[in-house]
Amino acid sequence: MAEFEPVLTANIHKPDSHTLRVYEQGGGYQAIRKVLGGMSPTDVVELVKASNLRGRGGAGFPCGMKWSFLPKDHPGPIYMCVNADESEPATFNNRILMEQDPHQVIEGIIIGCFATKASTAYIYIRYEYPTAFRRLQAAIDECYAAGLLGKNIQGSQFSLDIYLHRGAAAYICGEETGLIESLEGKRAWPRIKPPFPAIEGAFRKPTVVNNIETMACVPHIVNRGADWFKSMGVPSTGPRDAGSYGPKLYCISGHVEKPGCYEMPMGVTTRELVERYGGGVWKGRKGKASIPGGLSMGIMTEKEWDVPLDFAGPGKVGCLGLGTAAVTIMDETTSMIDFLHNSCRFYAHESCGQCTPCREGTSWAERIVHRIKAGKGRLKDLDILLDIASSIGIIPGTTICGLADGAAWPIKNAIAKFRGEFEDDIKRTNPTGWMVEEAVEALELVGLGTGH
Amino acid sequence: MLSVKINDFSHTFADGISILQAVRQSGIQLPTLCSDERLKPMGGCRLCVVQVQGWPRPVTACTTPLTDGLEIHTHTPELERDRRTLLKLLAQDYPIESVEQAPEKEFHRYLREYGLVPAAEGVATLARAWDSPQLAHDSSQPTYALGERGYSMRDNSHPYIHVDMAKCVTCLRCVRICDEVQGQFVWQVWDRGDRTSIRPDSGTTLLESSCVSCGACVDTCPTGALEDKSILTHGQPTSWTKTTCPYCGTGCEMQVGVREEPRSHTRQERGSSANAPTLLASVATQPSRIVAVRPEMLAPVNHGHLCVKGRYAFDFVHASDRITEPMLRSRGGEWQTVSWDIALAHVAEQFQRIVARYGPAGIGVLGSARATNEENYLAQKFARVVLGTNNVDCCARVCHAPTAAAMKAMLGTGAATNSFNDIELAQTILVAGSNATENHPIVGARIKQAALRGAHLIVIDPRKIELTKYAECHLQLHPGTNVLLFNALAAAIVEEGLIDADYVSQRVAEVESFDSFIREFSPEVVAERCGVPAKLIRQAARLYATAKPAMCLHGLGMTEHVQGTEGVMCLVNLAILTGNMGRPGSGINPLRGQNNVQGSAQMGCEPGSLTGFVSIAAGKSLFEQVWQVPVPQEPGLNLLKMMDAAQSGTFKALWAIGYDVLLTNANTHTTREAMRNLECVVVQDMFLNETAKEFGTVFLPCASSFEKDGTFMNAERRIQRVREAIAPLGQSKSDADIVCLVAQAMGANTGFTLGSAEEIWNEIRQVWKAVAGISYSRLEAGGLQWPCPTEDHPGTTILHGESFPIGKRAALQRIEHRPTDETVTDEFPFLLSTGRTLYHFNAGTMTLRTPNAVLRPHDLLDMSPTDAARLELIDGAAVTIRSRHGEAMLPLRINSDIPPGELFATFHEPHVFLNHVTSPHRDSVVHAPEYKVTAVQVRKAP
Repeated sequence: MAEFEPVLTANIHKPDSHTLRVYEQGGGYQAIRKVLGGMSPTDVVELVKASNLRGRGGAGFPCGMKWSFLPKDHPGPIYMCVNADESEPATFNNRILMEQDPHQVIEGIIIGCFATKASTAYIYIRYEYPTAFRRLQAAIDECYAAGLLGKNIQGSQFSLDIYLHRGAAAYICGEETGLIESLEGKRAWPRIKPPFPAIEGAFRKPTVVNNIETMACVPHIVNRGADWFKSMGVPSTGPRDAGSYGPKLYCISGHVEKPGCYEMPMGVTTRELVERYGGGVWKGRKGKASIPGGLSMGIMTEKEWDVPLDFAGPGKVGCLGLGTAAVTIMDETTSMIDFLHNSCRFYAHESCGQCTPCREGTSWAERIVHRIKAGKGRLKDLDILLDIASSIGIIPGTTICGLADGAAWPIKNAIAKFRGEFEDDIKRTNPTGWMVEEAVEALELVGLGTGH
Repeated sequence: MLSVKINDFSHTFADGISILQAVRQSGIQLPTLCSDERLKPMGGCRLCVVQVQGWPRPVTACTTPLTDGLEIHTHTPELERDRRTLLKLLAQDYPIESVEQAPEKEFHRYLREYGLVPAAEGVATLARAWDSPQLAHDSSQPTYALGERGYSMRDNSHPYIHVDMAKCVTCLRCVRICDEVQGQFVWQVWDRGDRTSIRPDSGTTLLESSCVSCGACVDTCPTGALEDKSILTHGQPTSWTKTTCPYCGTGCEMQVGVREEPRSHTRQERGSSANAPTLLASVATQPSRIVAVRPEMLAPVNHGHLCVKGRYAFDFVHASDRITEPMLRSRGGEWQTVSWDIALAHVAEQFQRIVARYGPAGIGVLGSARATNEENYLAQKFARVVLGTNNVDCCARVCHAPTAAAMKAMLGTGAATNSFNDIELAQTILVAGSNATENHPIVGARIKQAALRGAHLIVIDPRKIELTKYAECHLQLHPGTNVLLFNALAAAIVEEGLIDADYVSQRVAEVESFDSFIREFSPEVVAERCGVPAKLIRQAARLYATAKPAMCLHGLGMTEHVQGTEGVMCLVNLAILTGNMGRPGSGINPLRGQNNVQGSAQMGCEPGSLTGFVSIAAGKSLFEQVWQVPVPQEPGLNLLKMMDAAQSGTFKALWAIGYDVLLTNANTHTTREAMRNLECVVVQDMFLNETAKEFGTVFLPCASSFEKDGTFMNAERRIQRVREAIAPLGQSKSDADIVCLVAQAMGANTGFTLGSAEEIWNEIRQVWKAVAGISYSRLEAGGLQWPCPTEDHPGTTILHGESFPIGKRAALQRIEHRPTDETVTDEFPFLLSTGRTLYHFNAGTMTLRTPNAVLRPHDLLDMSPTDAARLELIDGAAVTIRSRHGEAMLPLRINSDIPPGELFATFHEPHVFLNHVTSPHRDSVVHAPEYKVTAVQVRKAP
C-alpha cells in the first residue's frame, strides 16, 4: 500500500492547531471562499454526491443524497444538526477533530449549510467533551469575528449562525431523532420515521443531520474534487454498493500497545491496524476478538481480522457493519462472558425505555448473563439469549430506533462465535443445571378504603 | 379507496387510515398495548408489527399509513413468536395473580391468549414478593416496592384513583393521554432504560400532584396499574348503560357501570380468587349500585373523555341522606313520611285552593335544568294547562337567560351558533367570562389542545384562569366593565378597517349609525376604566378580526351583570362585524352551565315563551290545537318577579322541581322575606335542600337522571339520550311521573297519562318543528343538533350560514355603558365575583355528597397576596365578607391569580351561604342577578 498522506489530520500536530490562524495558514477556509465565489448550492450537492462521501457516523448513508432529500423551494428555515454526541463506546475520532482542528469541522458545516440552504446549524456535543466544547466555541467566536459566520458571510448573500448545544450524557442522544428531541428540550426519545428529519426534523422544520467527521471531509472535496476523494478507499463492487471512498479516522483501543486514532484510507484490515499502528496485541499475547466499529456492530474473532474495515467488510463476517470504525481489541485472556455482561449492562442502562422489546429485552438479557456469570447459568439460557436477541433486534425492525439492534448484535455474535466457551463455563460452574425456583407468593387480595 | 390484501383476502378501505385501523376494520384482532384511538400512535409496544409483502422488515401497524396495493400478513409464525416473546418479557416481573383478579384488562387477555398464564416456561415466575400487599387506608405517602429493576410506586392517596405501578407495562398511555387529551401533564416518565418508571409530577403522591382527576389515565390503562377505587371496593360492573352526563351543559356521553347485588356465595361459585374478599361481601348490600362511570368512546362531544364530576362524582345517588319517600310538614313543623297517595292528594288540594283563592297568577312552577326535556315540557304544560298560568321559569333565569335573549333578539335563535367540533377548526378562540377548564372541563381541555396546536387564544377574564397560560392575549378587565371593553374591541376593529366588508355589506344592518357611535369607545379612551391597556385591546381586536375563523365561547362572566343581555349583544356585534358567523370555526357559543339548562328554557319553562322559545302570541294557536285546551295569554312571572310578587303578597305557592331557590338566588335576604309569605312550597328533589328545610311544606322524592329515560339538550343544541341505568331508588319517581300524577290528582286526565319518555318526546315534536325530525330511534345512533325538521335531515351544526331566522341581516346594537351601583367605597373596598370550582357543582347537592369533597373540602375566598398582606390575613384564615346586603364567613386562600382590589369566592356550601352577600341588582332585560359584582369588605372572622 502506497504511503498515505493524512487529510483530516494534516493539521493536528501543529502548535495551536485549533486556532483560526493556524488553520488558515494550512490552507483553511479556501473551500468556503471557492463555494461563495461562484458555486450554487446545487453545484455543491452534486459535487458531494459525485464524491460518494458516505456518512461517518455509523450507518454510512451517502451524504449528498441525504442533502438532496430536503424539500425543494422550502420557505425555511432549514436546520442542520451536527451530531457530535459521539456516544458509541470506544469511539473518539470526532473528539480529535473537534479538539485539534475545530475550524476544519466548522468550514465543513458552513459549506454543508450553504448546500442545504440551512440558516442555522446546531452542533450537539456530548457533555463529556469539555475541551472540544471550549475549542469549538472559541473557533465559532473567531469565525463570527472574521466574518465567516453571521450575516452575509464574506460579503455574500449567505448567512449562517452556529450554536453549540451540550448534551447531558445519554447514549440515545446520538440517534438522530433522539438528538433532535433532546435539542428541542424534550426526552431524547427517537421519533418514528417517516417523516424523516429531512422533511420534519428540528422544530418541525426540514433538518439535515450529519456527523462531525463527515463534515470535516467536505472542504477537502471542494478543494480537491470528487475524483481525488474517490482515488482513496475501496471501490464499489456493484450498483447496490456505494463503495467506501476517502480518508477515515480509525480508533484503536483495548488490548493493544499503542491505542489511538489513526487516519488512513478506507479499507484497512484489523490485523494491519493492530500490527502496524497499534503496536500489536499487548503484553505479547494473542488476539482473541475485536469489535469492528463500536459495540453495536457485534464482534469479530481473531481469524476474521483480515476482513477490510470498509462499509461492506464487517457485514461479510456476520457483524452489523463498519459503524464508527472504533476498533477494540480483546486479548486471549478475555472472558467472553465478561464481555457480554458488560455489553448487556450498557444497553440495559442506555435503552431509552420507549419500546418494549428494547426496554425489557436488554434488561432481561442482562439478568440472564449476570446469572451465568454468577455461576447459575443453564445451557438453555444461551438459546433464550439468542431468542431475545432475535426478537428485539437483528434488523427485524421491531423497535423505533436501532439501539435494540445494536444491543442484539453482540449477543448474537458472542454466542455464535464463542458458544463453546459459554457452554464450558456453564458446565463448569453449574454442572447440575440447578436453578433457584422463586416461590410464587400469592398476593392477598387488596383491601381498600373508599377514601371518603 | 385503497385496495389491500390482508392475510390473502382482498379488502378496500378509505384513505387516511393506518394499517392497524384497516386490520381491525377487517375484523382481525391484533394485540396492542400502547395504542388508543384517542392518542397519536406511538409505536412503542411493538405488538402490532405486521409483515408487508416486499418490505424488508416488519412494521408497526399503528404508525404505518395504509397505502394502495399492500399485501399484509398479520399472524405469521415469526410475528406470533415475537409477540409471545414480548409478552413474556413484560410478564417476567408482573404480579400474575392480578390477571385473575381483573381478567378483562387488555394485557391480561393477551397473556391468556398467548398461553403465558399461569406462568409459562421461560417466564421467570414472579420474581418478587411484594412488600406490602395490603394498602394503608389513609396513607399520605406513596410506598415504593423495591423490585429487581428499581422502585415501583404504590399510592392510595387519591380518593378515586388507586396506583400500583408494579402492574405497569410502560405503554405510556397514561402519560400520553394526560398530555394529549387532558393537557395536564401530570404523569411523567422518570429514569430510562429498564428503570423507566411513571410517576406524577409532584414526585410524591397523586393527590399532591397537579392531577385534575379526569380519570383518562385509568380508562386507558391496559393492566390496572391505575384503577378506580370504586371498582376495587365494589367489584366490576355487571352491566353498562350509555347515557348523558348529569353535570354541565357540555353534554358528555358516558357509560354507567352498575353492579347487581352479588349473593355472597355466588362469588365462590364463580371460582374467583381463593382468598375471597370479605370487604366485597359486606359492602354489596344495595340492590344494584353504580360502581363506575366511563367515557363513551364514540361520543361526538367528549371523544372518550370525562371530567372529575362526570367520571367520578356519582356516589350522591346512593348517599345516606337521600330521601326516597314523600313527606309532608306537620303542623308542628316536623317532616312526616307519607304515602304517595296522601302526598299527591295534599298537593292537588293545596294547588286547587291557591288557584281558587288567589287566581292562577298566585302560583308558579320552576322546571329543572337537571331534569330531562320531556319533564320540563310536562312541567310547563302543567302550569299552563292545569294551573292556567304562564308563571313558569327555570334556572336559566339566573345564568344564560341574557345570552338567549340577546342572541334571539339579534340573530333570531337564542342558542349557540356553532358546535364544539368547531374548536378544532378555529384559528382564533376568544374565551370571554368563562373559566372553561374548571366549569366545562372537556371544552376547556379541547381549547387547551387547540392552543397547544397553535390556535390563537384570547382570554377575557378578571382572573388569571388556567387558560391564560395558553393565551396570546389576556384582557384582565375590571368586573362590570364588559360593555366598555367589547365596545372598545369593536371600535378598534372599525378604526383599523378590519371589518369584513363583504359580510357586513350583505348580512349586517345599522352599519353607519354604529360606525359613528362606536368610535367614542376607542381603546385609548376606555382603557383605564376597563383596566386593560389599549395596546392589548388592539392586539386582541386584530387577532379576532384577522386570524379567521375566530370562534367565541362565553360564560356567566358575560351574563350575570346588570348589563348582561347588553354585554352579550356587544359580543355578537364583534362576530358580525368581522364575519365570524355562520362559518365553520366561528360564531357565538355560550357554554351552558347545567346539563339541560338549554333544554329546560327551550321546552317552555319560560314565562313569555312556549316550547321552542316561541312567544305565547305566536305559538298559542298551534299549542291549543295539540293540547286541546286554551293557553293563557298573559305572559307570566319569571323567578325573580315571582319573588317580588311573593314579597308583595300576590304570589302564594311555588312548586320547585330540582331547584334550591333559597340557596342559589342572589341576595338571600330578600328571597327569604319573599318565601316567608308563601302558603305552599312543594320541593321536588333528591335531598332536603335549603329551600325545603326552611320553607318546604311538601317534599316529593324524585329520581336522579341515572334512574330514568329521556333526553338532554347540550350547549350546542344537541339532543342526546338519557337512559335508565338503575331503577328509581326506594319510592322515588321520575319528575315526569310526578308531574303527571299531580296533574291527574287535579283532574287532568288527558295529556298527562303516565307513559314513556318517548311518547312525551313525540308530542314535543308536534309542537316544535325544529326537532320534528329527531326521533328516539334516530337518537340510538347518537345525538342530533336542532334544527332538524324532518327525519331525513342530518341536523344543523352551524346556524345562520345564508340568513338569520329574522331575515337576511342582523343589526348592530349601539350599547351605552351603564355602570353598576355596586361600586367600591372606603367601607366596601373590594369587588367580589362568585363562581364555581372544578370539583363542585352549583349548590353542591350532588358533588358535596361524593369524595369530590376530599379534593376540594371548602368554599374559599381568593384574595391577592398584596391585599392579604395589607389586611394582615394569612392563608386559611377564617374571614367574614360583608356587603351592603349581608355577610358570610369562609376560609381565605391567598391567590396571585386575583388582582388586588378584587375577590373571588365559590358558592357551593350551604353552611357558607354566600348569597347572603350578593346584591339584589338584576340584568335590566331578563332580570338575571348580578352575581359577578358585589362591593364587599373583608375582616378576620371573630
